[in-house]
Amino acid sequence: MARISIDPITRIEGHLRIDVEVDGGTVQKAWASCTMWRGIETILLGRDPREGWVFAQRFCGVCTTVHAIASVRAVEDALQLEIPANAQYIRNLILIAHALHDHIVHFYQLSALDWVDITTIPKADPARAASIADGVSTWRGNSRRTLEEVQNKVKGLIGSGQLGIFSNGYWGHPAMRLSPEMNLILFAHYLQALEFQRKANQVVGILGGKTPHIQNLAVGGVMNAINLNSLATMNMDRLGMLQSLLQELVPFVQQAYFVDACLLGASYPEWFRYGRGVANYLAVPDLPVDAKATQFDLPGGVIMDGNLGSVRPVQNWRDEAIRAAVAEDVTHAWYLGEGPQPPWQGKTDPYYTDFREDGKYTWVKAPRYNGHPMQVGPLANVLVGYASSHPLTRKWTDEAFKRISSLSGPNVTPEDLQSTMGRYLARAIRSAMLSDLALQHWQLLTANILKGDDTTYNPPKFPQHEIAGVGLHEAPRGTLSHWVVIDKGAFSNYQAVVPSTWNASPRDEKGVPGPYESSLLANPVVDPSKPLEVLRTVHSFDPCMACACHTFDASGREIAQVKVL
Amino acid sequence: MFRCKYECGSNVEILDLGTPGLDLAPYLYAADLVIVADAVHAQEKPGTLCIYCEDDLVARRAQLRLTAHDPGVRESIALLRLAGHAPSELIIVGVVPESCGLGKGFSPSVLSTSSVAVDNIARLLVERGIDCHRRHAPVQPNLWWLSGERSEFVASR
Repeated sequence: MARISIDPITRIEGHLRIDVEVDGGTVQKAWASCTMWRGIETILLGRDPREGWVFAQRFCGVCTTVHAIASVRAVEDALQLEIPANAQYIRNLILIAHALHDHIVHFYQLSALDWVDITTIPKADPARAASIADGVSTWRGNSRRTLEEVQNKVKGLIGSGQLGIFSNGYWGHPAMRLSPEMNLILFAHYLQALEFQRKANQVVGILGGKTPHIQNLAVGGVMNAINLNSLATMNMDRLGMLQSLLQELVPFVQQAYFVDACLLGASYPEWFRYGRGVANYLAVPDLPVDAKATQFDLPGGVIMDGNLGSVRPVQNWRDEAIRAAVAEDVTHAWYLGEGPQPPWQGKTDPYYTDFREDGKYTWVKAPRYNGHPMQVGPLANVLVGYASSHPLTRKWTDEAFKRISSLSGPNVTPEDLQSTMGRYLARAIRSAMLSDLALQHWQLLTANILKGDDTTYNPPKFPQHEIAGVGLHEAPRGTLSHWVVIDKGAFSNYQAVVPSTWNASPRDEKGVPGPYESSLLANPVVDPSKPLEVLRTVHSFDPCMACACHTFDASGREIAQVKVL
Repeated sequence: MFRCKYECGSNVEILDLGTPGLDLAPYLYAADLVIVADAVHAQEKPGTLCIYCEDDLVARRAQLRLTAHDPGVRESIALLRLAGHAPSELIIVGVVPESCGLGKGFSPSVLSTSSVAVDNIARLLVERGIDCHRRHAPVQPNLWWLSGERSEFVASR
């Protein structure tokens, strides 16, 4: 039996360690450990709830916006404060642009090289590659000349003998199976993706005042001034800029990213059979289309035991069942406390013991939903939407299935999405949905402004007694919730239950493992010294440990190390 | 702090980028000059000012750990270089921290070096012919987040 420890597993930033025991070529046991502690909640205690979001957006260096949003929503929920329709639309546009940016970075920069072997690119025939790409997409970045230029860059890189940041890839691994032409197409998009991440950022910057760390939020709405006759505020010029940026972003998402994800699915069909793991799914509704947040463009719901027919829709953010169901267990996490704690009563008292596989082994708590581990993320989002016949989810999911089978790939069913490849595909489906919604929400905002509504803010009033609230957001990595207790106008408790806490959860008091851990069971590992297959499954969740764990890093390690024990 | 003491032309952007990992790339995209100001890990005493160029970073002569979770400067630059959109010049103006523990302020040695760091950033800009001049009346930095809390966090390990 081989014991493999991968630390850290995230491609660039992050602090996730995965330990697996491999026997007979498959994973038998797995442990997910986060090696950092996040302590911003502690800094928030005693502070004014109106400024909580400014601190909360420092939970994570990457997904800053999502924490800012969840924080203001939590305080608004506690106050039962409605925000103006313009504020909803402006927030939604920021969230959509951020999510598109995040999903593009994940697919290309953070995980594509688990599937794409760049060392074969010099052997590709660029003319053939261009013809393959033209056969499946109208993307403008697929010309023979463009692909030739990318091939020359890769030849130069490999010829220099210095792969630099690419030197850690598992090149030549038997589980890498794309043709040189396919590798060239995907790597060309990998480089082109940078331009579109920038456009998505510009959308966030125009609306948020600044990116990263948007400045335009307020408890009660947004601080964007709307005046069609003023040069300094949100006016037709700014709206026009936003529209053009979104119009440039959409084709990359639909014609490059979405198509590439379908190509991967068709080329690696066996990955629809691995990596299922925890088949309980949680997604919350998001992108409200009215001021009162009664209707949403992304549906929420709960699915248990992989049974799509049993979906329980979550209609809105006041859903009582979620408030009652969520609790965090610290049996295997480096904190003091016993039994599951509801977040409003949650404590974060560190108690470090070193890595003990039968005891405490991570900084991530174990969140449970009525006692069950839950998987969150784009897959939960898509399954819940598909199961509740949400038209937009069905449109893009069916389109993905059709494309994969037309590429002589497998006939994928919604059931098959519950897998490693399913998580990649679901993220691309969600991105395509968001790209449709981007222009719709731009239209909602513009129409509302042209109607003469320029309100963006309802001022909050804090009572002297204790109040509690939860801020929900369906973030790129899944359901995010900030739980706040406010007493005499100051935070008396603040707990964030973040997507990667759900997914990277350790075992609970009953010994039930979390989604990363259980998704690795029965994964193949052909070569224990190059555990590429483990990376594929863990990366399918888009692990981001900066916020999942509660900041300490004494090691300063830069690049993934694999230790075979 | 830089903005309180100096003013620059509209072609200079001053950004607080946090620790975005590879998400740093879009902010560095096709810039002429990028100056990164941050904490650096070097075998020097806390508060020492260290200035590095891109070669130091790439050759790892500078053992950089710019923040608690490494913002991915090296990777972002390498990626942009390959894609053909790297900044023409990269400079890192770093200060060695006393500790990288949890908190929201600066240690005294870092705070005292920060004004030297700010002057050096201005010098680097001026040397390259970039519009940057001292304000006639310097403004006091508004570090509002350093006050207003009831409890001070003490790391327990």
